Amino acid sequence: MDRRKFLKFSAGGAAGAAIGASLAYVKPFSHSQQKEAKRVEIPTTCEMCVNKCSLIAVVENGVIHKLNPNPENPKSRGMLCARGNAGLQQVYDSARLKRPLIRAGNRGEGNWRPASWDEAFDFTAKKLSETKDKYGPQGTLWSSTESFQEVFFRNLGAAFGSPNQVRHPSLCLASVNLAYSLTFGTVPSFDLLNSKYIIMSGANRLESFITPDTMDLIESAEYRKAKLIYLDPRFTVTASKADEWYPIRPGTDLAFMLAMLNVIVSENRYDKEFVANYTVGFDKLVEHLKPFTPDWAEKETEIPAKDITRIAREFSDAAPRAVYYAGRRSSWYREDFHMRRAQAILNAIVGSWDREGGMVPNGKIALGEYLFLPWDDPTAPRVDEMDKNFPLAAKGDGAYLKLRENVIAGTPYPVKAWMVHKQDPLNALPNQGRTLEMLQQMDFVGVIDIQMSDTAWYADVVFPESTYLERTDPVEVLSGITPVVVYRQQVVKPAHDTKTTLEIAQGLAKRLGLSQYFDYTLDQWIAAQVKELPLEAPLEYLKKHGVYVPRDFPKYGSTLNAEHRFVTKSGKIELFSERLQEANYDPLPVYQAPAQPPLGKFRILTGRRAYFTHANSTNNAWLNQFAPANSLWLNQSAADNLGIADGDRVEVASTVGAVRLKAKVTQEIRPDCVFMLHGYGKKSKWQRLVAGAGGCDTELLETAWDKVSGNASLHETFVSVRKV
Amino acid sequence: MAARPKRYAMVVDSKKCINCKACVVACRAENSVPLAYSRNWLNEENRGVWPKLMAASHPEQCHQCDHPACVRVCPTGASHHRPDGIVVVNEADCVGCRYCMIACPYNARFFREDKGVVEKCDFCVKRLDRGQLPACVETCPSKVRVFGDLNDPESKLAELLNNREYRVKKPEAGTGPQIYYLI
Repeated sequence: MDRRKFLKFSAGGAAGAAIGASLAYVKPFSHSQQKEAKRVEIPTTCEMCVNKCSLIAVVENGVIHKLNPNPENPKSRGMLCARGNAGLQQVYDSARLKRPLIRAGNRGEGNWRPASWDEAFDFTAKKLSETKDKYGPQGTLWSSTESFQEVFFRNLGAAFGSPNQVRHPSLCLASVNLAYSLTFGTVPSFDLLNSKYIIMSGANRLESFITPDTMDLIESAEYRKAKLIYLDPRFTVTASKADEWYPIRPGTDLAFMLAMLNVIVSENRYDKEFVANYTVGFDKLVEHLKPFTPDWAEKETEIPAKDITRIAREFSDAAPRAVYYAGRRSSWYREDFHMRRAQAILNAIVGSWDREGGMVPNGKIALGEYLFLPWDDPTAPRVDEMDKNFPLAAKGDGAYLKLRENVIAGTPYPVKAWMVHKQDPLNALPNQGRTLEMLQQMDFVGVIDIQMSDTAWYADVVFPESTYLERTDPVEVLSGITPVVVYRQQVVKPAHDTKTTLEIAQGLAKRLGLSQYFDYTLDQWIAAQVKELPLEAPLEYLKKHGVYVPRDFPKYGSTLNAEHRFVTKSGKIELFSERLQEANYDPLPVYQAPAQPPLGKFRILTGRRAYFTHANSTNNAWLNQFAPANSLWLNQSAADNLGIADGDRVEVASTVGAVRLKAKVTQEIRPDCVFMLHGYGKKSKWQRLVAGAGGCDTELLETAWDKVSGNASLHETFVSVRKV
Repeated sequence: MAARPKRYAMVVDSKKCINCKACVVACRAENSVPLAYSRNWLNEENRGVWPKLMAASHPEQCHQCDHPACVRVCPTGASHHRPDGIVVVNEADCVGCRYCMIACPYNARFFREDKGVVEKCDFCVKRLDRGQLPACVETCPSKVRVFGDLNDPESKLAELLNNREYRVKKPEAGTGPQIYYLI
């Protein structure tokens, strides 16, 4: 046999049409019997999802052969998931972004011309400056999602003078964060590994990975014999592993929690000492809970009252090794915040706080900061008017849907240029038509990404970022019960003409007259960060290990003393929240029965598979193979009524859109719900595997948000289904 | 004391398997397996009528049999049994006749059109030589697979086989499969 070693990069240009159909195998063979292969192992940090697991890249003759888990990181628990293993596809994907592109035809037509970095920078700086001249710096919008170099993009927007930065939390965990912050003054972790009793509402943790919770849940549920109670209208993998699964009527989780609280309080099963020492508002809570009996909740939730009572008793018996797990993945309903607050209160009154097996406030490690020249704060208010609309929410993150509606309406002022950093709003926000409307009213759209996302497809300029395996990033702390410091270092040189976000920010800053704020190198930035670490040669340590784990980190109990002041108004855990009352919200969780789908319609649910992250990994060849297209989950009985058989093509329609895809007729979903995977039916032709494959859920989802946090509510849409 | 010969085997605890496919992708990368093929896979099992349902997934790959049918039928000796129990295919000797594929009761082998040879799981022998675990074992988030030496009474593998009930797939084929599924 001859030894093969070839790189299957598509030779050619960036033009969309030039992307070949050859999909077979895009990782170069770095093969077996190659005796002299120069093999190096480089520890670094994954960027295939939000968990930032530690990995060790095996590089042979300058080509990445394999990504292995790095056992040194206790948060990633010595694992690397399917996505992490498929990470090298980002580098070797022939359809990735390889050089700057400037739009040649109409938006969304896919006609691109390659541009030099100078030209792309000049063009973008000119457009941003024109917008600033006409509308002020507030006429520009800067969108980004958490990543290690996001700080440089955000700093560019801030130095430019825009108050309008909008981040991912209002498409993610804003309601959870706000509910726990207002109750405990912080957002804790859940010590699933040591819990004896775990309740989850819809947090499909075995398919929607959060480290270390996913691994700990399996370990505690299957080996340590913790009891897992799982509520979900869909039979997920988590449901299949649960001790008890209840296909709860969608949107009624709060009724279940209130009834649990009712039982625990009326039967005196709460932790009296803890409640007395650490909480405020218990008396008001007791009064508030009276109507919410298990019998009442049974009618709302379809969960038998005797089971609710029993679960409440078992939960309080197991406390403090008992948690109602917070979950995340966006809001589901307009009342999402109150449901999350009720979980927090449940955990609090049984004393599952800062104790082994309960909720634990996150440990932190202090990093140094590189001091750069400060800029003036923007003078204009935010376009989403956070102060008025969501006075308690995290202002710096914004509220994406409200922001979109205001931009489209032009109130309180016009926003005409949009810079997007590694985010795909067309697939991330409900109601894609509206997002497209916002985009089309922009005079300029610039996107920084590693792939031609749908949003990039509609942009005017696309900047290619180097992938995470091709660049070094600032150091990051991953908070958690045991916090760690992780380091991402370059594994291979960039395969194409790509840059880091810092380089892109500096290129733009130079042309915008903002260079004085970016007068540093990444090395200087990192050196300032790591000098605080209690290590002799911190950077050398991180280069060698990829992760720093503090020894003997105190895990439990730091807040359990009379002197501790919680970061809340009262300094205690707030069961009753005066801050909510002052802002004209319900100070205790009030249940409002959700609308139910009218006859012939279904509630559409969103969710995940373990091998995809949001919309950004469905086009990865090594992952796409597990689900080349999505399908519509439809219960057998509902399908029978509609005359739909498994595999039939169906049209799914809401008030804002319609998509066509295949039906998956199944037993594994409630008859009043349908479900489809996210990240399909893409518009971008460069997303070769998923362009037009299956249906796009954000085309269907209607605009709705949680009233307190502004977080997008994804389960408020009813759809009709018909065979086509 | 002379070291006892090794006999590599695997224990699979399907109850911990969450069907996340990490093992499949890790194997693809480690062994440069083209997309059309896979050396390992997950058998999915979904049963019941709403709302009384069950779902499970069971990882599978070459069973590294004690009496491998593939080795018996191989006309060139390409498929052979190593002293440590691993069944391997020597690519240089494989003529691509594919008798082994027919003989294998587990359908664990595939023919690579591009190379003209038959391929299958070899417990990542190259990784074992470096002291690493097989890629599928190492990468697994819930550590479904336990890999080890049957002849080492101290191993986790031996401990599990001593203390837990298990079964093998298709024992009636008589090939002596060495992947043990915990019950």
